[in-house]
Amino acid sequence: MRVRAALVVTVLAATTALAGCSGDTSPLPVTPDRPRAIATTPAPGGDKPAPPACNPRASLRPAGSLPPPGEMPAGSYMATILQRGRLVLGTSQDTLLFSSRNPFSGEIEGFDVDMGRQIAEAIFGDPDKIQIKVIGYDKRVSSAADGSVDIVADTMTANCERWADVNFSSVYYEAGQKVLVAKASKAKSINDLGGKRICSAAGSTSFENIGKVKAKPVAVAKPAFGDCLVAFQRNEVEGISTDDTILAGMAAQDPYAKVIGPRFTEEPYAIAMDKKHPEFARFVNAVLERNRANGTWKRTYDKWLGDFGPAPTPPKAQYR
Amino acid sequence: MSTALATRPGVLRRVGGLRHHSPGRLQLLIALLVGLGLISGLLAGVAGSSARAGTNDLGDRAQPLLIEAETIYSALADADTTAAQAFLAGGLEPAALTRRYDDDLARATTALTSAARRTPEDGRAATAVRTLSAGVSEYSALVATARANNRQGLPIGSSYLSEASRLNRDTLQPQARELFEGAQQEVEDGYGKAGALGWMTLLVLSLAGLVIALALTQRYLSRRTRRTFNLPLLGATAVTLVLTIGTLTILISQQTRLDRAANQGSGPVASIAESRLLALQARGDEALTLAARAGSGPYEQDFDAVAEQLRRPGGPMVNGYGRLDPALGRTMTRAAEGFERYVTAHSDVRALDDSGDYEGAVKLAVGAETTKTFEEVRTELDRALENRKEFFTQEISAAGDGLGLLTVGGPLLALAACVLAFIGLRTRLEEYR
Repeated sequence: MRVRAALVVTVLAATTALAGCSGDTSPLPVTPDRPRAIATTPAPGGDKPAPPACNPRASLRPAGSLPPPGEMPAGSYMATILQRGRLVLGTSQDTLLFSSRNPFSGEIEGFDVDMGRQIAEAIFGDPDKIQIKVIGYDKRVSSAADGSVDIVADTMTANCERWADVNFSSVYYEAGQKVLVAKASKAKSINDLGGKRICSAAGSTSFENIGKVKAKPVAVAKPAFGDCLVAFQRNEVEGISTDDTILAGMAAQDPYAKVIGPRFTEEPYAIAMDKKHPEFARFVNAVLERNRANGTWKRTYDKWLGDFGPAPTPPKAQYR
Repeated sequence: MSTALATRPGVLRRVGGLRHHSPGRLQLLIALLVGLGLISGLLAGVAGSSARAGTNDLGDRAQPLLIEAETIYSALADADTTAAQAFLAGGLEPAALTRRYDDDLARATTALTSAARRTPEDGRAATAVRTLSAGVSEYSALVATARANNRQGLPIGSSYLSEASRLNRDTLQPQARELFEGAQQEVEDGYGKAGALGWMTLLVLSLAGLVIALALTQRYLSRRTRRTFNLPLLGATAVTLVLTIGTLTILISQQTRLDRAANQGSGPVASIAESRLLALQARGDEALTLAARAGSGPYEQDFDAVAEQLRRPGGPMVNGYGRLDPALGRTMTRAAEGFERYVTAHSDVRALDDSGDYEGAVKLAVGAETTKTFEEVRTELDRALENRKEFFTQEISAAGDGLGLLTVGGPLLALAACVLAFIGLRTRLEEYR
């Protein structure tokens, strides 16, 4: 009971702290840390003021070549990280293939985690100098913005709304939203699921997108996508909708599930950072640029997502 | 109707008229003494059996229910902690932890079954028992699914585990606390019923009345007749005095025992139980903070609050237990010292985690050293709880002593007093015929 009270306090505090942030979906009537927070509210969308038009894929241009590992320019945020001795990565622990806990070893691993490890390697010369902090989906923007983590790599879509609060790196992965249903389902796409209960993580763009679907499915919020799969397996929801990559990780764990339909959104993933340190964003972009060119990106893709076919060409970086 | 109205003044007048002549007064005295004797006998039976029923209910139902409620609560809290620790350990859950989790669930379900027998059909305790019965099976199903997924290396296992943990912490444990608090209330009420003070007071008053009436009757007789002593009436007085002294002895001993059982038994049992629950909660907070892997969060705040409560002098753990029993005092001191050591270890765990050494923090938290420190605290608290439970059982069974005798012997003695008083006065009455 005491914990519950504490949670309410933190949730409230977080909500207040985020009041100024436009990037989070905090005004949603969901309390992800609370038990059985099944928000059957008709999902949001439409009633929010449109964010200023922008190209969410365009990030800050890298400044020259990368400094050698262990020798970060004085006064830069990279030097602060170097001095601290570790890079703090904010991510989730239940998104198979991107960032999930390996039940055998207890380690958190995946495509997103490797992105973080590559940044750590560029700073320290050692990919293991990384501290993983698990954050809620609805805390991704605020965690990056308040500096409680250095970078957020957590299947996070770069969009104009979030650009108002954080800096994004160049895009490192192109995903799109689909829907996962039971194998026996006759639905062909999300448009056939009107009135059905569809789960997504609170605070994710996917959750908002469900509300924009014309067929009007009922959006159900859970604290994390893993909780959505639990709800799906316990027949609390008829489907889960989010990025195809995350859904692929879920389908891999449940032989009675399938992913259907075309992508009905574009979700360019990028790394989020504190807006106060543009030099750090430029540095991260330089690392990504180098890794696209030298084949590291492709190796990472093959390692985690190789089962879905050969690696495509990495998303082309766009700069302002 | 009309006859009743017509006769009543007649009866009253006749009874009232009796006091004007000696045989009439004797008849009135017979009625008074026999009446008081019968009332005393009846009250002795009622007071004895009601106190006995109350004492039995307290000892055999209310107090065991309190213990069971605590068992359910602590077993659930421990199961949650154990599941989280097994998860933290990574890989296949360690056999020792699996066994402890199984034991916890077995204890919870066993206690739940007997608690169901001891709770009345309706009321908040019954609702709590029903919610718990349904919830515990859902909980164990969730944990089983988590384990099965974990065995296959599917990360969804950890999501099942957090769903189970939410169910445990947010639904089951509050219900168990509800049951625990309900049982505490029942124990408090139970002491009132076991005392049966209302009936006991009436009994003592009526016995006192009888003694006084017998004394006055004898004074009246010795003045009116030449006989100073009336043997049957003396016998009746002796019997009544024996009954009065016996009643007072039983009453005083019972109240003393009940007082001791309440102040030195039930009271300490409840606060030692509370200590054990809080300690388990702290250990669970530690595991859940690490499992969430999000640094010091709300569970850590809860840990601080709980630890402060446990370390506060005059709180449930650091208190004057030594005054009750020196051995108990030593046990509780050892528990408190052990908890201090555990808090130190916990600070080290947090320091490691907050400085980025997650693996080191997990290793320290679920490692043998910290586990041993914590288990020592738990063993001491278990021992202290046993000590007080034993004391309670002993006092309660002693409080019940003599109540059976009062229930059966009381009415018999009172009846004997009636018969003797009747014989004694009838001999006098016959002298007027």
